[in-house]
Amino acid sequence: MNPPGSLGVLEEKEEEHLATPILGPSVHSDNPQERIQARRLRIAARLEARRREALGEYLDGKKESEEDQSKSYKQKEESRLKLAKLLLCGTELVTNIQVAADIREIHRRIEEEEIKRQRLEKLENEVKTSQDKFDEITIKWEEGKQRRIPQELWEMLNAQQVHCAGLIEDKNKLISELQQELKMKDDQYVKDLKKQSDDICLLLERMEEQVKNVMKTFRQELQNIEKAFEVERQELLTSNKKKWERALQAHNAKELEYLMNRIKKVEDYEKQLNKQRVWDCEEYNTIKIKLEQDVQILEQQLQQMKATYQLNQEKLEYNFQVLKKRDEESTVIKSQQKRKINRLHDVLNNLRSKYNKQVKQFQEENQSLTLDYKRLVLQFKELQKAMRHFALIDDKQFREIWLMNEEEAKDLINRAFDVDRIINTHHLGLPWMAPNFWFLKNVGPISQRQQKSTTQILEEVLMEAEEEGADQDSSESESYLDLPKQVSARTTRKILMLLCDESGFLIESKLLSLLLPLERSECYLLRLDAVFSALGIENEDDLYKLVNFFLKYQTHHSPSSQEPLDLRAEKEGSLVDGKSQEKEPPPSPKLIHPNDVLKILEAFVMGLRKPRDFWVPVKLLKVVRDDSKDSEYWEALTTVIPATTQNLWDALYTALEKYHLVLTQRAELLIENDSLERQNTELQQLLQQYLDTKINSELQVPPTQVFRVPTK
Amino acid sequence: MQKSPSIPSRSSTSTQDRSSTAGQTSSTSTGPGSGSVVRRMRRIIAEDAEWSLAIVPLLTELCIQHIVKNFQNNPILKQLLPEHQKKVLNHLSPDLPLAVTANLIDDESYWRRCCTQRWPVCHVDNHGGSWKRMFFELHLENLLKHFIPNTTDPAVILNLLPLCRNYVRAIRVDQFLPPVQLPAPPRGGDQSDSGSEGEMEEPAMDHYQLDNLVAGLSHLEELDLVYGVKDCGMNFEWNLFLFTYRDCHSLAATVKACHTLKIFRLTRSKVDDDKARILIRSLLDHPALEELDLSHNLIGDRGARAAAKLLSHSRLRVLNLANNQVRAPGAHSLAHALGHNSNLISLNLRLNCIEDEGGQALAHALHTNKCLTTLHLGGNELSEPTATLLSQVLTINTTLTSINLSCNHIGLDGGKQLLEGMSDNKTLLEFDLRLSDIAQESEYLIGQALCANREAARQRALNPSHLMSPVTAKGPESPVG
Repeated sequence: MNPPGSLGVLEEKEEEHLATPILGPSVHSDNPQERIQARRLRIAARLEARRREALGEYLDGKKESEEDQSKSYKQKEESRLKLAKLLLCGTELVTNIQVAADIREIHRRIEEEEIKRQRLEKLENEVKTSQDKFDEITIKWEEGKQRRIPQELWEMLNAQQVHCAGLIEDKNKLISELQQELKMKDDQYVKDLKKQSDDICLLLERMEEQVKNVMKTFRQELQNIEKAFEVERQELLTSNKKKWERALQAHNAKELEYLMNRIKKVEDYEKQLNKQRVWDCEEYNTIKIKLEQDVQILEQQLQQMKATYQLNQEKLEYNFQVLKKRDEESTVIKSQQKRKINRLHDVLNNLRSKYNKQVKQFQEENQSLTLDYKRLVLQFKELQKAMRHFALIDDKQFREIWLMNEEEAKDLINRAFDVDRIINTHHLGLPWMAPNFWFLKNVGPISQRQQKSTTQILEEVLMEAEEEGADQDSSESESYLDLPKQVSARTTRKILMLLCDESGFLIESKLLSLLLPLERSECYLLRLDAVFSALGIENEDDLYKLVNFFLKYQTHHSPSSQEPLDLRAEKEGSLVDGKSQEKEPPPSPKLIHPNDVLKILEAFVMGLRKPRDFWVPVKLLKVVRDDSKDSEYWEALTTVIPATTQNLWDALYTALEKYHLVLTQRAELLIENDSLERQNTELQQLLQQYLDTKINSELQVPPTQVFRVPTK
Repeated sequence: MQKSPSIPSRSSTSTQDRSSTAGQTSSTSTGPGSGSVVRRMRRIIAEDAEWSLAIVPLLTELCIQHIVKNFQNNPILKQLLPEHQKKVLNHLSPDLPLAVTANLIDDESYWRRCCTQRWPVCHVDNHGGSWKRMFFELHLENLLKHFIPNTTDPAVILNLLPLCRNYVRAIRVDQFLPPVQLPAPPRGGDQSDSGSEGEMEEPAMDHYQLDNLVAGLSHLEELDLVYGVKDCGMNFEWNLFLFTYRDCHSLAATVKACHTLKIFRLTRSKVDDDKARILIRSLLDHPALEELDLSHNLIGDRGARAAAKLLSHSRLRVLNLANNQVRAPGAHSLAHALGHNSNLISLNLRLNCIEDEGGQALAHALHTNKCLTTLHLGGNELSEPTATLLSQVLTINTTLTSINLSCNHIGLDGGKQLLEGMSDNKTLLEFDLRLSDIAQESEYLIGQALCANREAARQRALNPSHLMSPVTAKGPESPVG
């Protein structure tokens, strides 16, 4: 119902949407006024559309519905309403009986209530009056008891009887009344029953009637609806038929038109075909003539070709003969070749077998050789081990022998020195100075001077530099024994400090944290150690190379940066290249800019890498001991006493010999003297003896008195 | 020679064929007798144009016949193929004992045959569309109707219990016979005497106790009882219609124990206030009860109060107290309960006497109630004040669909006021105002408004999505037409 209408509106709206931007002022216009206008128009159009939609839809819907309510629909609605009404009325009619019964019941109840109330009232009144009467009678009984006279009593009894009879009569009356009522009620009940049965009959009748009615009307309505549908269907059929016929007619007309067109076209085409045929015939003739001419030419050519063919045939026959002969020859050769091939095959097989044998043999050989090789390698290893062992032992032995010899020599030298000293001091009376030679201090075999490790050097350098801080140039000449002569300790130190500060990235962070609590110099030392290990500087030479590299680099690159110092640096550079190093090396580390340090380091590391490649052979050569200085050493040891002294000694020797001679003579003389003295004493003793003897005493003149005895 | 016997023989065989296959064999055996004749007969049969193998009964057919014949002794059904089962069921006799068939046969067509054979009129729709259920319910009803306490053996019913327990869902009994008094005492003519005797003998007048039966029926949903005797004719005695206290107590206990019960009807049984209270007390907080019908009894205000209490203590949806003796106080209590109730859909107070006071109370209650759809206040002596209040209710309430105010004294003014109330109402579909003293004009106009409402309801039911447009469209049309 609604959708077509709303759709139509939508389409309308869309049309409007499409139309507005074309007709009205454009929204995209340059003029702002015009744009405002355009927007207003658009809003207005939208509102209008919406309003029309609301209104139009309603109207359209209504119209549509009316149209839609075709005959059948109308009939249906009508029937439905009619049936609903019928049903409603029917049920009302049927229930009317119930309602009527209800209201009758209500009325009955009300009446009943009223009657009941009256009856109760009546009964109560009756009870009251009868009670009064009864009371009266009972009082009279009391009175009667007081009566003494029989007549009176009798009278009274009679009266009582009458009264009682009256009372009973009243009661009986009431009872009869009530019974009457009951009878009435019974009658009423019977009537009610009848009435009810009538009602029920009526109800049934009505229900049946209703059912019949409803059935009838339903059937009728159904027929009506069906009729309406039928009519509608007929209408639809006729209208559709008409439409169909119209369409068929249109179709036929069109068909006819097409046919006519077709005939015309066919005629056209026929004409065209004829034309085409004539034209084709002409063309065919011309082509035919041309082709005949061509045929003639070609026949001539054919003749020529035949001639050449003949010629060629003869030639080919000859060739064929030749080739046949050749073929025969080739078959012979082929057989020969075949035989040869067979032979060669045999040879090949032989060779193969041989080759296999050889391969096996060589494999075996190879195996044995590899085994040998392994064995030899093992042996070699053992030998090496032994050699190392022997080398060690040799070293030791050599050292021991050396030490022994040296000790011996030293002893001898010392003895010589002692002798020399004695000679000088005792004999010549000259002061003696012990000669000081380097080799005297030497102990053990002379080896190549030991490479000091970088750390040691560093330590030294730093220590010395510090000492230097204390006393300036005091021990310069001594302390620089092992430094290359070109560089001063201070320079080195400064360079190293700089290096240490700038290349902190080469040090591990863990190490840095460990270094914090240490002393400054120690800290520097450890840091430098780490830096050098990272750079691959391992021995003294490398270190000096580094220092030199720094200096050179600086000399090369300074001119650009440091103009005033440049000249001096140049001069110094040349001086450094020379030999004089007495002057303080002026290229102070200040000249090296900290930013350059990394570049220098990079260049140095690149340079250092090359010589490192020959590391392994150097290590091997290191084992061979340099014994060039040994003979020198030993010779030096022999010539510890100079020739002049020896000459002196010779002269001294001869003089001393002479002196010795004199002394020996003297000694002999002394011995002689001694013996003479002993003889003397012995003689004196004998004399004494003789003197002491009794004979002397007996003698008148004792000899003692004669001479005086020496007491000695 | 050959042709002359062939014609009668063919006719005989053909007729016998049609009658039964067994007949054929008998005919052949009871033929002339000698073997040659039999052979000839056979040959003749073979030449018979109508004879074919199709006439020979299949073995399955024979087996099925046998099964049908011996079904009572050896019931074989479940083991058969479905098509054979169907055949067996089609041939089974409806007279088979229930003990055999009850739990074995579920086929509706068999039970349909049973029903149609026993009862001439069968409304299967009243029994949930199941013929089997109908059969058992009617069977049980029949037994209960003719059960005479102390005379009939109660085992008759209890034996049926295991057979019907799964199928019976409703018990509808419209008569309970009292016990027969064999030493019939010579009755005096006066009623007071018999009345006193009836009271004295009351314990002896108890009816059948339903408790065992109801406890056994696991699917019982409906209980429709009338304690009375039908067709007593001239043997009428008051104590034939006596719903004793013992009956009442046992029924109350029975109903309370039956948790599946949904509908309980006890009509035309002289239930007075005390019995009603006993019954309703047992129904308080019943888990399933939805409909309670105590119409055509003697319930007064106290019973109505009990019913009002039941309204707030159960999920009751339908309450029928038609034709009782409820007056204004009872209506008051019902109205009070109704004001807070959200379950009750239908309330029937036809033929009571609640009068204007009760009617006004109910109308007030309808101001707050949002659930009640059907209200029957026919024959309650209502008048104009109730009508004014109800017209106010009509303007507010949107749930009520049916009101019955027939047989009241609403009067002309009340009718006009109801018409005013009706003009604002769009939901009411039925409004019965017959015999209520209102003007014909207003009754007609109310009828028109109801028509419009019905039309609108129909439209709503047809296309629930387009609620508004048809209403607005039809709105202006209907009063014009």
